[in-house]
Amino acid sequence: MPEDLAEVYRSTYRSLVRFLYRKVWDAERAEDLAQEAFARALVHKPENARGWLFVVAANMARDDARKAARERRHLTLLKAEPGAGSKELDEEIDADTQRTQVRAALDQLTPRDREALLLWDAGMSYDEIATQTGLARGAIGTTLSRARRRLVEAYDAGSEGQHVARG
Amino acid sequence: MQEVRGNMSHVDDGTLHAYLDGELTPVERARLEGHVAECAACRNRLEEERALIERASGLLGLAQPPERAAPPLHQLRRPSVVWRLRVPVAWAATVVLALGIGYYAGGTPGGRAAPQPLSLDSPLLHSAAADSAATLSRQENEPLGYSAAERRQVVATPRPPAAAERERRVDSAPALARRENDAFGLVATQTRPGAPQEAKQAAPEPQLYIDGVPVRSLLDSASAQSGVIAIRARDSARTPAASAPVAGAQRAALPTRALEEAVVVRGRAASNAAAERGVLVATQWPIIRRGPARQILGAEPMGVPGLAVRNIRRSPTGEVVLVEQAIDSVTVIQLFQQRVESDAYLVRSFVADSLRSGAAATERLARFIGGVRVEIAGPLSADSLNRLLEQVKPIGP
Repeated sequence: MPEDLAEVYRSTYRSLVRFLYRKVWDAERAEDLAQEAFARALVHKPENARGWLFVVAANMARDDARKAARERRHLTLLKAEPGAGSKELDEEIDADTQRTQVRAALDQLTPRDREALLLWDAGMSYDEIATQTGLARGAIGTTLSRARRRLVEAYDAGSEGQHVARG
Repeated sequence: MQEVRGNMSHVDDGTLHAYLDGELTPVERARLEGHVAECAACRNRLEEERALIERASGLLGLAQPPERAAPPLHQLRRPSVVWRLRVPVAWAATVVLALGIGYYAGGTPGGRAAPQPLSLDSPLLHSAAADSAATLSRQENEPLGYSAAERRQVVATPRPPAAAERERRVDSAPALARRENDAFGLVATQTRPGAPQEAKQAAPEPQLYIDGVPVRSLLDSASAQSGVIAIRARDSARTPAASAPVAGAQRAALPTRALEEAVVVRGRAASNAAAERGVLVATQWPIIRRGPARQILGAEPMGVPGLAVRNIRRSPTGEVVLVEQAIDSVTVIQLFQQRVESDAYLVRSFVADSLRSGAAATERLARFIGGVRVEIAGPLSADSLNRLLEQVKPIGP
């Protein structure tokens, strides 16, 4: 089992980080969460490590988002340095408009479409995505086609909006 | 435009995507290819969808995290990501624990141990693990002789009864914190060297609480460079802001507001933890005269001219001189001084480097004067401390 996990770690770690990154939008955080997911897998030794990891990671990302929101509120209340909690985020946003637009576009997808798309992009098969999301396997293609179309449309609409706003 | 071929109607988007994703069964695949070969409309759509998939995956490619190597799998057993302990920082935390909490815990009233007698050639510490292990074993196992004056200094650290009372009240905090960690189902080994683990078991729980948080967790969070963590600890402790129950008269002078800052301010936590460490250490450090201090430093001890020198002390390991000066009757600043060539300095500067976040808060509070590094701590703002530090110079007899 540990050897299996080592193999999964080699093949899946980057994908898991990528998957998490599109959820928490902080590279270090994504790495931390991915590493914690694997650390938990070391303890739990799940049967289907790959699927298990993505489930755990998705849950952690969701908890993390809630916690981040709560902590930001605390920081504001306690008058910490302005924007201490979201400083990195702000820098990222300034640094990379494209990424921000992709993020905004992803935000416009339904959670289910987004999840399917991110899982696919993380290298999961239709079968795995079906297990993960609870969708029928036969619905994955349709879901992905819709997710991709929405993503592209939302992105294009977003950048058009920007040009208009600038012009 | 061909309507139907065999049983096959036009292909829907989902099937096209599944086909392009390589996820159709061989039978489905053959059927689709057969249809597309005959149907120009579906051929066009296939190309459109192919472009769409490429476009979408290109967009997602714009939102990539930077490629970074994965740490070895066996290093992943970390207490909790919430702490964001990175390995070097965990080291630093170890050193801080050893230097600060270790001394404090080792010599609490009724304490089991005596600081090591002055020895300038004590073995130099080459790793954080060795450092903390050595510190602890010295404290636990070496009731070695030192002067009556020194002993008095260690033993005579009265703790206000009220403080002890408060302490009991918040005793559940570490337990809660532990439970919270346990909830992650992770083992807190491996990222930290083994010694501090033992330290946690061997030493009593830290008895200093800041705002309901055990100092140890504060130090940990300081090492993690994030006030957020400390806030989390506050939540888990569920203890209303209690002033820090601490031994030592000068502790009473610490305004709780300053302690609060250590809890909430990102980045600054590190320097405040250093200040905490200083105050903690103080009662454990034997008072020495100017002569031995000069011997340790190879120079006159440093101080702020015009301020009364309250005490000169040395670290139990004998490498650091501490000059305590009174600003007024309740405010004491501490100047930690150390020969630059000492290896212990390297350890400490490693701590400083590791703890430093964006703002060089830790760095700002230390200064080199001649061959001596002087670090300042006290219940004052970083600005005030910095200004005082600028005035520091050798104080003559």
